Amino acid sequence: MIKRLLLAIALILPGPALAANNVSLSSDVFVERKVAKPNGTTALILEQPRTVTPGDKLVFVVNYRNVGRAPATDFSVTNPLPKAVAFNGTSDGTEIVSVDGGKSWGPLSSLTYQSGNGEIRPALMTDVTHVKWKFNRSISAGSGGKLVFRGTVK
Amino acid sequence: MEYADTKDMRCRKHRRAPLAFGRRLALALGTACLVLASTPARAAGTVAGTDIVNMAQATYDAPGGGTPVTIDSNRVTIKVDELLDVTVVSSDPGDVIVGPGWTAQVLAYQLTNSGNGSEAFTLSADTARPGDEFDTTFEMVLLDSNGNGVYDPGVDTIYTPGANDPVLTPDESVTIFILSAIPDSAADTNRAEIELAAVANTGSGTPGSLFAGQGDGGGDAVIGSTGARDADSGFFVVQASDVRLVKSATVTDPFGGTEPVPGAVIRYQLVATTVGAGDLANLAIRDDIPADTTYQSGSITLDGAPLSDAASDGDAGSFDSGSIAVALGTVPGGQTRTITFQVTID
Repeated sequence: MIKRLLLAIALILPGPALAANNVSLSSDVFVERKVAKPNGTTALILEQPRTVTPGDKLVFVVNYRNVGRAPATDFSVTNPLPKAVAFNGTSDGTEIVSVDGGKSWGPLSSLTYQSGNGEIRPALMTDVTHVKWKFNRSISAGSGGKLVFRGTVK
Repeated sequence: MEYADTKDMRCRKHRRAPLAFGRRLALALGTACLVLASTPARAAGTVAGTDIVNMAQATYDAPGGGTPVTIDSNRVTIKVDELLDVTVVSSDPGDVIVGPGWTAQVLAYQLTNSGNGSEAFTLSADTARPGDEFDTTFEMVLLDSNGNGVYDPGVDTIYTPGANDPVLTPDESVTIFILSAIPDSAADTNRAEIELAAVANTGSGTPGSLFAGQGDGGGDAVIGSTGARDADSGFFVVQASDVRLVKSATVTDPFGGTEPVPGAVIRYQLVATTVGAGDLANLAIRDDIPADTTYQSGSITLDGAPLSDAASDGDAGSFDSGSIAVALGTVPGGQTRTITFQVTID
């Protein structure tokens, strides 16, 4: 009985990890699903999936908020791409990316990719391993925002 | 791949317009990207059962300086389901040439698991397709167990539905053979269509249909764009070829007449005519010198040109052990070769 009660408490605790400092960060992943509407057209909806299949289009949403009293300066958000996801770009294009596991960074067009056989070519979306947003302003107390990028299940 | 990128660029361009966040963003993403068609058919992709784990990280300077603070977001875990997909492609580059009455004639097919999980497939051969000119008699379906792409009698495994359905890992292929017998009644130039069909054992049908909990790796199984079933056809074409041989003799006696008396010369003419659509390979004509006659050396001609008597001397004619022979090589259907030689009556 007590065990069950504890489980119930655990379930109603808020999901996002609120760190013991003054910025909160939460991640959500949505998948585009095509839904046939009664009038015969198809609508694209976003839903939070439990499972996906290769080819599914994902939308990653990162929410940040300064929940402290002081501004957060030199603020940046990094999202390593899961191995099974190919990067498809962000909604605002202000991101910098890495194609070498987070060693070097820059806009995708400025990066090159070295393939296994040593060949160097311009980096492609599919090479991206990390996405990062660097804010040139400080995040004032109480303010926040949302960062969005897309990916495809490989 | 190139194509998909282009489409996506277009999509991104739309999305560059300033957007309000929240529900309107989701809506805008949805409508702006309606131009994205379904993903093109591609290799299997992430293996079924893989967990996609996403976590973001934020870094900022602590108030009042000091070491930068790094915090992690929550983790989102999504499991990759099994996509059920299969492709069947005929491996024969063109029609396979057969003759009436031939048995154990082979057509080859490539079966590929284009899904992302390990999957078994049920195979079926159809030798009675409508719309072709004759039906073969089905003999058996075989799995290319030694993987060399060529039918090896006695080595490759006979397939029995439900007993040894091939189980393929993602992107794995196996060659399948269908053996047929060609009926005696098959006429020259007639074609027969033989289809191999494959169906995923977990299920098939409408793309997107879901089999809960039946996916490889613990997730669900979802029917992919192929409907988890596929079929392709190979073709036999009959090339009935034959040769007709007409022999005639002209006698010239030493007295200017045509009496077969000792000393008279007999000129034999052999006219070989090939019929049918096929080539006759290694066609050789041989004729024994009749008893009580003597071959006139150097008298063989082919289409009017003289041939030598020695064997293996580079030309087609030879005389040996009481018979003449002319090797015509490969002769296409519908052609005529005329051979003459002379003997003297003893």
